[in-house]
This record gives sequence, C-alpha cells and structure tokens, in this order.
Amino acid sequence: MSESVSYFVMLFKAVSYALKAEKILKAEKLPHKLIPVPKEISSDCGICLRCEPSFQEVIQAALAGKVEFEEIRQMVN
Amino acid sequence: MGEIKIVNATGLACPQPVVLAKQAIEANEQVKVIVDNDTALENVKRLGNKLGCDVKVEAQNGGLFEILLTRQAGAPVPSENIAVSCNAAPSTAGPFVIVCAEDKMGRGNDELGDVLMRAFLHTICLEKAKPDVLIFYNTGVKLTVQGSEVLDDLKEMAAAGVELLVCGTCLNYFEIKDQLAVGIVSNMYDIAQTMSRAGRLLTP
Repeated sequence: MSESVSYFVMLFKAVSYALKAEKILKAEKLPHKLIPVPKEISSDCGICLRCEPSFQEVIQAALAGKVEFEEIRQMVN
Repeated sequence: MGEIKIVNATGLACPQPVVLAKQAIEANEQVKVIVDNDTALENVKRLGNKLGCDVKVEAQNGGLFEILLTRQAGAPVPSENIAVSCNAAPSTAGPFVIVCAEDKMGRGNDELGDVLMRAFLHTICLEKAKPDVLIFYNTGVKLTVQGSEVLDDLKEMAAAGVELLVCGTCLNYFEIKDQLAVGIVSNMYDIAQTMSRAGRLLTP
C-alpha cells in the first residue's frame, strides 16, 4: 500500500507505432494516455503511452502481434 | 553577517547589470549594485523584488544609482528560473497567458499536430509554474469539450487555479457549446483584454 501512484510507460520505436497502439487501445476501450517520453528516460522528443499497472496484462495482450513495443518501464510518481 | 558585495555595473549594457546582480546575490547576503542609467536601475530593482530581497535605492552624483539588495530570511533561494529581462516596461507584471488558437500544434501534418498539442498541454500541466490563463479560440475550443483527449490535463489545471477562457463565438460556430467540459465561456472583450495585459503570451 504505497502512497505514491505508480504507472508504467510503453516505449515504441517510432511515433507511428505509438499512434497505432493508441488506436487499438481506444477501440478496445482500455485506459491509456499519450504523453511525452519522461525526461528521465530519454531527452528525445518522443511520445509514449502511459497506463495503469492494473491494466498492464490486458494492454499487452491487446497489442500482441499488432504493434511492437520497445520497452515497458515502471514509473513512480 | 558578511560584507556587502559591491557590483560596479556602470557603463554596461543590458542585460549585464542584471546578470551580474543576480550572480552576486546568489552568493552573497547583501549586494550593492552601482548603475548609471534608469533602465538598469529598474531592471535590477525588479530582479531584487522578484527574488524577495529588500531593495533600497540611493541616487548618487553624476547620474549614478546605488541599489542595495538584501536577501530576506525565508526568501526563496534565487533560481535559474528568474528571467533576465532587458525591457524597462513592467512586462513581467501581467499574467502568463497561453493561447490555444488551434487544436493542433504547428502546421503541416494534422495527425502529428494533434499528438504534439496533447504532449504540450500535458507537459504544461506538470509544470510547477503554471500559466495564469489559458485562452482557447478557433479550433482550439475543441480541446475543451467532451471527448477531448486533453480534458484531464485541462481539468487538473483548472483545479490548480488556472483560468480557462473559451471563446463563445467559436463554440457557437462549431455548434459544441453544450459539450463544453472545462473552462468558462468567454467573449472577445475578456480575451482581447487578457491578451493585451499579458506579461508573457505563449502560443503553441
């Protein structure tokens, strides 16, 4: 029971991958948010998907075989 | 108490006097800055006020001014965030205003512009120094209605005290007035006035 809200971010190879993933999650009604890649991960001007940990499995399953992602990072607020 | 650090900024052009004063007050409790013109005087005074210093000015012979800056107990430690301004007018006095004139950021590709706008507003929302006012007009008003991808960020900013002015004419034109989900329906009087009075006006 931690006080800090944590989330995870999915990082993609390119902006187009992130947008494709977003379209799929939107269609599946899975909660997510497109955000700039956190500065501590990369100083590039990239975007990534921010999601709640409780949805990690279902989100990964929804994207499996459709959109490749590079990495998942757990984040602490 | 340390000694008073003397900064002779006579003969220097803006922004040097302010830069030197800022560096000095970061390292010393008390700084006396000597300047030879009104612009430098105003700028250094404003810097001192912004940093929460006690500011005393003494006019000297030959058109010189001595500005004594004294750091106050409990005053914020000077940070990088203090902008050094060359403008003698009180430009920083007005509110920090961000104008969303479109629902996209930049021109050229709409899909990309949409992503950039969302990323921009999210980043602004996370900033400690939030804008005082956000203004939305033309397609920018679409950011404030139901179904907008940036509603969460806008609502968070509204809750944090940011004023959101949404152009009523524009909501009306797009026939989405009944879908407004954040901010207040505003008019050209308020919008034009807020923009005119802005200390800083930023358009993504």
